[in-house]
Amino acid sequence: MKRVKHWTALILIIMLVASLAACGGNGNNNTKNNAAAPEKTESTETKNTDEATEPAEKVELSFWSLGTTNYEDLAKKYTEENPNITIKFQNTSDQTAHHNNLTTALSADSGAPDIFMLEIGFMERFINAQDKFQNLNDFGAKDIAGNYLDWKWKQASSVDGSFQLGLPTDIGPTVAYYRVDLAEQAGLPVDPEGFGAQIDTWDKFATVAKDFTAKTGKPFADLTDLVYNALRDQSADQIYFNKEDGSFIGDTNPQVKKAYDFTVQGIQEGWIGNTLLWSPEWGQAMNDGGFGVILGPAWMAGNIKSNAPDSTGKWKIAQLPEGAGNWGGSFLTIPKEGKHPQEAYDFISWLDSQESQLESFKASGLMPSIPALYEDAAFTGFQDEFFGGQATAVEYGKAAERVKPVYYGPLHDQTDTFFKDALKNVLEKKADPTEEWDAAVKKAKTLAERS
Amino acid sequence: MAEPITVRPSVSVKKPFLTEKRRSNITAYTFIAPFFIIFSIFGLYPIVFTIYLSFFKWDALGPMKYVGLKNYDLIISDPTFWISFSNTLIMGVMGTIPQLIVALFVAIMLNSALTKFKKTFRILYFMPNITSIVAVTLVFSTMFGNNGMINWILNGLGLENVAFNSGWWGVKIAISTMVMWRWTGYNAIIFLSGLQSIPIDLYEAAKIDGANRKQQLMYITLPLLKPFIIFVTLLSTIGALQLFTEPYVFLGQSGTGSTREEGVTMVTYLYSEAFRNGFFGTAAATAVMLLLITIVFSVLNMIISNRLGGDSKGGKA
Repeated sequence: MKRVKHWTALILIIMLVASLAACGGNGNNNTKNNAAAPEKTESTETKNTDEATEPAEKVELSFWSLGTTNYEDLAKKYTEENPNITIKFQNTSDQTAHHNNLTTALSADSGAPDIFMLEIGFMERFINAQDKFQNLNDFGAKDIAGNYLDWKWKQASSVDGSFQLGLPTDIGPTVAYYRVDLAEQAGLPVDPEGFGAQIDTWDKFATVAKDFTAKTGKPFADLTDLVYNALRDQSADQIYFNKEDGSFIGDTNPQVKKAYDFTVQGIQEGWIGNTLLWSPEWGQAMNDGGFGVILGPAWMAGNIKSNAPDSTGKWKIAQLPEGAGNWGGSFLTIPKEGKHPQEAYDFISWLDSQESQLESFKASGLMPSIPALYEDAAFTGFQDEFFGGQATAVEYGKAAERVKPVYYGPLHDQTDTFFKDALKNVLEKKADPTEEWDAAVKKAKTLAERS
Repeated sequence: MAEPITVRPSVSVKKPFLTEKRRSNITAYTFIAPFFIIFSIFGLYPIVFTIYLSFFKWDALGPMKYVGLKNYDLIISDPTFWISFSNTLIMGVMGTIPQLIVALFVAIMLNSALTKFKKTFRILYFMPNITSIVAVTLVFSTMFGNNGMINWILNGLGLENVAFNSGWWGVKIAISTMVMWRWTGYNAIIFLSGLQSIPIDLYEAAKIDGANRKQQLMYITLPLLKPFIIFVTLLSTIGALQLFTEPYVFLGQSGTGSTREEGVTMVTYLYSEAFRNGFFGTAAATAVMLLLITIVFSVLNMIISNRLGGDSKGGKA
């Protein structure tokens, strides 16, 4: 009995001490915050004197990063050069959750990181929330704008260009990944130049596809979504929504109709496979040579490598017919909540420099958004064993320069699903393509009315 | 009684604020306070805020704009909302009723003296419930894929492929199967604890009276299990109305939460409104509708089970 009492006493004491310590900690933090708040207005001034006289204060920057990047390694390098700055990462590959977490933090005015990596698909949600983000132009972003691809830079600018939400990281120019072994079997040229020339218009693409399926017994394209995306993203200026007033124009945009009709043609002629995007079956088919081409962006290379490890050397990259589109790519932003915007900007502008982007391309395949790199020997000379030693950077660079920037609008993703679903119904339920198109347009209009 | 009345006025010094009764009240309230504090922060406040939010148009970042009942009007006039409602009910029935019957039989088997390795089976049946739903759904997605295992078996039996990804019934069958797989064991364990609370004497007495197994089941097991059946049915009904993860992952494998008509449920509809479209107002209105529907179904459940309970009460002794 006595023992038990001792133990309880001990536990109580520990709890008490711990709670006191916690209180003390909070108190300190509070005073620090209070002291920091009034300084904010003259922060630049005090900073200069700090740097001159005493060693700079230790700063820890929180960074919510997305997907596979090599930013952790680069950050370590940065800390070596700037010992007072450390960067704390929180990484996820779940895009939706990643952006929803920021939405929650921003609307609660609490919990947002110093640096946030923002995917282009979610840009419209945040671009107008200018009171929640730092304007990077205030930190001198305008001076480096010329380094980046113009369209990429503009994706994160306000309409008049005065507000810059983020610095561009990687881009996703679309190319055609094709199976060399199957192309050979179908009697197609196997070198990227020749293969690209065979399919340089969508009509020629369809002819080649039909022929390919007849000769190999396999679908030419993997699935409906990616064929549709490839054409859709070649729209000029806008896709489903009007750039000026945000109204729905998906039903009158000729490129959307063309993308839809072309995909329907592929379904009816039998050269589009019936797998689901991101599904394990799709990965399996990639590995086993279940289809001929994947029309995807630069970052798709990473997916192919991880899904199809047995097919090393059997893939190559060629240009898409009639131009390229862009799918994905991110920006580095600084939410206003962060206490160290200047340090954060210094870090992201370093992370986004030419040298760092080259490192990211080599390590994680992130396609740079700095066109100067596309002529850089260190970039163009990079040969990928997985793609049979092809200098993949050259193809991506070519595609990047063919990209026509488009406006998405906040409801792009949901609207897009209506059309994808329609195509799926045509493929799997043998539904009437015209009826499905009308239904998709109707749903899109209903949705657009709500905004 | 013994106290003389005259003493009272002389004692009438000011009553202390903390009387015995008050003190014990304070102690009692202090002990139960944590629940009420936590509930009001994490339970009550969100409910009240949701109801408030359902009258506004809000994208979670900009200012809120009062729109009155427009959000309710929008969702009630949206066919997808009603499809999500009927889907939820259909999948609720498909996923719950067979599952409860199977769970009951599993529990009776586990309880039987003839079954060996009972503990092992109990663990095995419970396992699906603690497996991550996302992982489960991914495994089931491969099985129900266009060229997946189930279609392969169907082909082997000389049947045609079922479009589990896009067919009206296909999607529902696939999702209900996942729900069944996950909850059968869980409910079986609840039933099992119910079965074990039934005194053995009753069965012995029944045997002496010459009741066979079927009669024992019908006249002893099922009536005495009624409170457990009611409890499990109520839980399953509420669970079925909140079906989300399975359709979310199964239909939108890129994590977008597809609102395909075949498999959209009320909660995927709600999620999609809020986090895909950025219409938090209509999402809140959907949540309020869902709350009302849940209340209606719970009350219905209670009325029906009370009726059933009344019938069997005679046999309780």
